Amino acid sequence: MEYAKQIVTPDMNGVCCAKKFVASCFESFGDQVFEPKKVTVQWKEAKAPGGADALAALEEAYTSILRGLGENPERQGLLKTPRRAAKAMQFFTKGYQDSIPDILNDAVFDEDHDEIVIVKNIDMFSLCEHHLVPFFGKVHIGYLPNKKVVGLSKLARIVEIYSRRLQVQERLTKQIALAITEALKPAGVAVVIEATHMCMVMRGVQKINSKTLTSTMLGIFREDQKTREEFLTLAKE
Amino acid sequence: MDRGTPLVNGGKAEGLSGGGTTSGKVPVAGAGGWLNGHSEPQRAAAQWQEERTRSLEDNQLSLPSLESAYSAILRGLGEDPERQGLLKTPWRAATAMQFFTKGYQEKISDILNDAIFDEDHDEMVIVKDIDMFSMCEHHLVPFIGKVHIGYLPEKRLLGLSKFARIVEIYSRRLQVQERLTKQIAKAITEALQPAGVGVVIEATHMCMVMRGVQKMNSKTVTSTMLGVFREDPKTREEFLTLIRN
Repeated sequence: MEYAKQIVTPDMNGVCCAKKFVASCFESFGDQVFEPKKVTVQWKEAKAPGGADALAALEEAYTSILRGLGENPERQGLLKTPRRAAKAMQFFTKGYQDSIPDILNDAVFDEDHDEIVIVKNIDMFSLCEHHLVPFFGKVHIGYLPNKKVVGLSKLARIVEIYSRRLQVQERLTKQIALAITEALKPAGVAVVIEATHMCMVMRGVQKINSKTLTSTMLGIFREDQKTREEFLTLAKE
Repeated sequence: MDRGTPLVNGGKAEGLSGGGTTSGKVPVAGAGGWLNGHSEPQRAAAQWQEERTRSLEDNQLSLPSLESAYSAILRGLGEDPERQGLLKTPWRAATAMQFFTKGYQEKISDILNDAIFDEDHDEMVIVKDIDMFSMCEHHLVPFIGKVHIGYLPEKRLLGLSKFARIVEIYSRRLQVQERLTKQIAKAITEALQPAGVGVVIEATHMCMVMRGVQKMNSKTVTSTMLGVFREDPKTREEFLTLIRN
């Protein structure tokens, strides 16, 4: 895949894509605005998993958090909590260890289909990188294939990879869209995420019913209003 | 105000109808059960009378250690704490966690003292659909749901918002849903000495939804029935019917 050689990461956690990336991969996709920061190739790489040392460090950190909150880490209910919380947190950030090629390599098929394909209501659970508190919701993905379709569950797996990280909802939406774009080179991709942020519900402003909606429209979904409208109508409940 | 027999002696809270040994019996503190932060039976005090385990000053003093713990967590997860989005995250996460456990700073008597009124009302009073947000003490992950509270007054009424405040005090802690339900019921019992109290909590546990078994739609329901709610099936039925939608 030629584009993979010059690829710079769709994973923008802290290392956003440079303008070069925009030029090489997205000529037809109109304006993409990225912060001109350091560029890393992460398409093929996976971060090394933590191992036992990382778990021990996390456990220690959680024990000190329990003490700092005024709790007693020796009481029965909290005895194994540092370990459980550490493992839970590692699970919530397991997306760092997965890579897109691993889950996608086999499931891209040549198919002469040129109508919108939508997978909607994909449950998504992520962690807000600002407060380390969950936000969760639904992801709706649509794409217009260009001779290549992807196995449907792979869209959900892409959501899993990027959501199981410390995230910002805007970035999550964009990363999912870019990953699909690079995997399939479709005529267009649309991703809409509707989520509830516990950091807004459980603390701070405490608005229980508020939802945050973000969307990324690429290619024909961005340029052609009718296509976008069709997607939004079909993805709505 | 009359606070009844201290729980530490295993005494029953007064005012609960029926002198039977099983109804309204209060768990002794030494059962190692439900008094947050009090694992040693000897120093466990009645919830009603307990001192706050934390103060605003404590929060300020422990903030730096919480922040460094969260920085260590970010590093341990393989993230870069120096990147822009994570720069202030240790502080934000620490203050968020302190907020989620602010129940340790508060005491029931502080919020209830003024709002108990003498009223000749002997029908059930229900406050339902109280939103509740708590932290699972096993995984430090939120569980969220609704609390329904009903009581049968015995000449004394409680200001309605105080039920929500009682829920807040006990839910903003590291909790187990069963214990939370019981603590709310006990607090109301001790405050009012009503004829009976019923508390039902229906919650979704993120630790079951986001990880582990990953069952999205599962809910956990716990209830505590004291006094006439426990003894009289009709009263209990009336309560359960009224809280159902």
